[in-house]
Amino acid sequence: MAGIFDALPGEEVPVGTISGGLNEMWSGAAADGRPSPPTDDAKATQVNFVLHLGLRTDAADAVSQFETAVRFSRCYPCRVVVLCPVDDGSAPAEIRAKVYGECSIGKSADDTRCCEFVMLSYPRSARIYLENQVSICLSTDLPLYYWAHRFTDSARLADYRYLLTTAKRVLIDSATAPAGAIGFPWPRPENVRDLAFARLLPVRQMIGQFLSRYPVGSLSGDLRSITLAHGAEVSCEARVLLSWARDRIRACGAAGETFDLVPSADLPARAFALTFAYGDRRFFACRADLASAHATLDADFGSGRTTMPASVALLSQESALSEAMFF
Amino acid sequence: MADSDRHPFLQGLSKHRGAPPTIVVIFGASGDLTARKLIPAIYNLSYDNLLPADFHLVGYGRKPIPDEEFRTMASGAIKEFSRRELDAEVWAKVGATTTYVSGGYDEKAGFDRLAARIAEIERGVGSDVQCLFYISTPPSVFGPIIQNLGLSGLGSRYLGKPHQSKVIIEKPFGRDLDSARLLNAALRSVFEEHQVYRIDHYLGKETVQDLLVQRFANSIFEPLWNRNYIESVQITVAEDQGVGTRAGYYEQSGCLRDMIQNHTMQLLALTAMEAPGSFDAEAVRDEKVKVLKAIQPIALEVASDVARAQYLDGMTGGKKVPGYLAEQGVAPDSSTETFAAIRLSINNWRWYGVPFYLRSGKRLARRVSEIAIQFKAPPGTIFGQKDQFDLAVNTLSFQIQPDEGLSLILNAKIPGLETRTQPVKMSFRYATTFGSNTPEAYERLVLDAMIGDGTLFIRGDETETSWKLYTPVLDFWRSQGRKGMEGYPAGSWGPEDANALLASRGNTWRQP
Repeated sequence: MAGIFDALPGEEVPVGTISGGLNEMWSGAAADGRPSPPTDDAKATQVNFVLHLGLRTDAADAVSQFETAVRFSRCYPCRVVVLCPVDDGSAPAEIRAKVYGECSIGKSADDTRCCEFVMLSYPRSARIYLENQVSICLSTDLPLYYWAHRFTDSARLADYRYLLTTAKRVLIDSATAPAGAIGFPWPRPENVRDLAFARLLPVRQMIGQFLSRYPVGSLSGDLRSITLAHGAEVSCEARVLLSWARDRIRACGAAGETFDLVPSADLPARAFALTFAYGDRRFFACRADLASAHATLDADFGSGRTTMPASVALLSQESALSEAMFF
Repeated sequence: MADSDRHPFLQGLSKHRGAPPTIVVIFGASGDLTARKLIPAIYNLSYDNLLPADFHLVGYGRKPIPDEEFRTMASGAIKEFSRRELDAEVWAKVGATTTYVSGGYDEKAGFDRLAARIAEIERGVGSDVQCLFYISTPPSVFGPIIQNLGLSGLGSRYLGKPHQSKVIIEKPFGRDLDSARLLNAALRSVFEEHQVYRIDHYLGKETVQDLLVQRFANSIFEPLWNRNYIESVQITVAEDQGVGTRAGYYEQSGCLRDMIQNHTMQLLALTAMEAPGSFDAEAVRDEKVKVLKAIQPIALEVASDVARAQYLDGMTGGKKVPGYLAEQGVAPDSSTETFAAIRLSINNWRWYGVPFYLRSGKRLARRVSEIAIQFKAPPGTIFGQKDQFDLAVNTLSFQIQPDEGLSLILNAKIPGLETRTQPVKMSFRYATTFGSNTPEAYERLVLDAMIGDGTLFIRGDETETSWKLYTPVLDFWRSQGRKGMEGYPAGSWGPEDANALLASRGNTWRQP
């Protein structure tokens, strides 16, 4: 586990001088001619973002999530604190820190957006000091967003109660979290969002816009079943999509139908097929291959058959972050 | 519409996701605005997956253009003017449902062909389709287009339903009060007011929308936002370009019609209006009209509230440029103003005695649009010695373009043993905070019209109220010919007369 902290980029600094370390980092960048904030207001002005890597995160995964956070912060300049827990048995009982910064230049040199990362490695025995340490790394008065990556055990939520309570949103990803993670005893469950649900926004929108053309009675009356067949790589998204379809069709007044999630070897790995079956000739079918970004919607609700091609893809992880955080 | 009132399959999606099946018909499809703004806006909406699943674009114009050629023109416009590169897949989707109908604007048969195309598309879609008619033509054909939309029945499709026909119309909304009333009457003879979307692209700009958020979502401003604390308000819409190739249009228009009567008045209304009861379109527009109606008539002869001028030879961007009268297409004795400055007084409880200074012009020192709120100076008891204390007027400025953002000028102590002061600037800039790849104004506005949200559009009574204020000015200037027409060097901040408007109160123009 010590590996995730070491795998992340940045320069190690004493925990007591993180602010000084950030200043040195920027002045060093400026001296080397690399992009750096022209003024203090160009950095870390929008949100505080905590990326909390769970104990089961490996080095490659940590780097991947870190890179997502970097891409996100290019659009939404923020102060990011990355928490890297360490198994007590494998590390000294102290908190270590690293700083990392990056600026991206937009249309002009004046349009420079910068973000700052503080990585904190801590043994679980030091967790009682962690929240204070995090608080001094964050930008006062700005909202806090908390990405709980690979949280696997609800028993440890209490350790981070203050941060989880203060956070405006807590983000999990049901693709990597255990089943039922959304139902953990989060301090403020109404603030918890699933990144898998956010990633599905274009799919929900495509299906929603298509089906909203039909009266709710046509969609719900004598509905027998909703089946979602899916390829091997989108099982999580398929589960979330079926849950959404169930909520929506129930809101239309349907009751008594069955819902089936069917892994299918016949479908490409990143494809799914959603089917509404009725007691009469009505039907709805949506088949989407997310790899080729192609979908087909096909329906007949009594006013003639409509077949429509559409392009669709999941949101990128950084777009899913902004969707889940701000909307 | 509340989320719970929407179709269950749209609930949870933002209101901007879920426009009904739509056909956008652009009149003036081969025109400049279509290429520069409308086609790129539609493309970017598609890129962001914000267009409805059944979306069709139909160009309409006098020139006979085959569908394929229109699609080529459209993709060329995206390549040249879109904020994003042309993505083949996104374009393939939009292009597949892009067609063209040729016909005259006063030719009923052309509109019958258009109606047939719309019916054909609707049959293909298999459900009701909303039509959004975008009139992007010179004003001389507004009337025939509106009339033919009525005669062909296209204007009244699904009237009273959410997917009823809608019409977007570009300025100018008349050239004086009489013509504005005629245009409104023509529109109302075919459309209900809630079907009409008068577009002022300034209202689609992020900073303009942010003005309402800053005013009404931050409690610190409201107690100060009145005659007790505000000394004056300056609204500047400055261009550094000359008349260019648009002399033909500009000679008939002039600065007051082109900029002041519409853009700057919209900025004024948003700055000065009372808080609406809700963010609902009618509530916002009611408050805008109320404050516009409270503006006092403009003094013209004694203690005049207006100044006008034409640019002279000068220098812009380090290069010599000719004066207005030497521009191609401009009459040598032209009395068209290229600069106008106005002092307005709002006769209500909040603003009584606070001057609103508006100015706009071509060939000014730089391209900039801003609203500057200048606060009153504190009593001079403590920091009165000017040689020791350099105190600036507290100014809150909203920069509309370029470099969208806002800044606040404060006075601070210079570090040291002695107490000396210096103005400092606190800035918030959209580009550094949110990134610069924000939607263009037209994207927001076209989508708003598609979903039937008129908040950022101008209502008919707003245009008439504004024209009622300015028509006497235009009449007066016309009666004066060139008498009183000042000159200002190209590349400057305007004529001396404009400074005189502020001098009586000891105010000066900012140089933003």
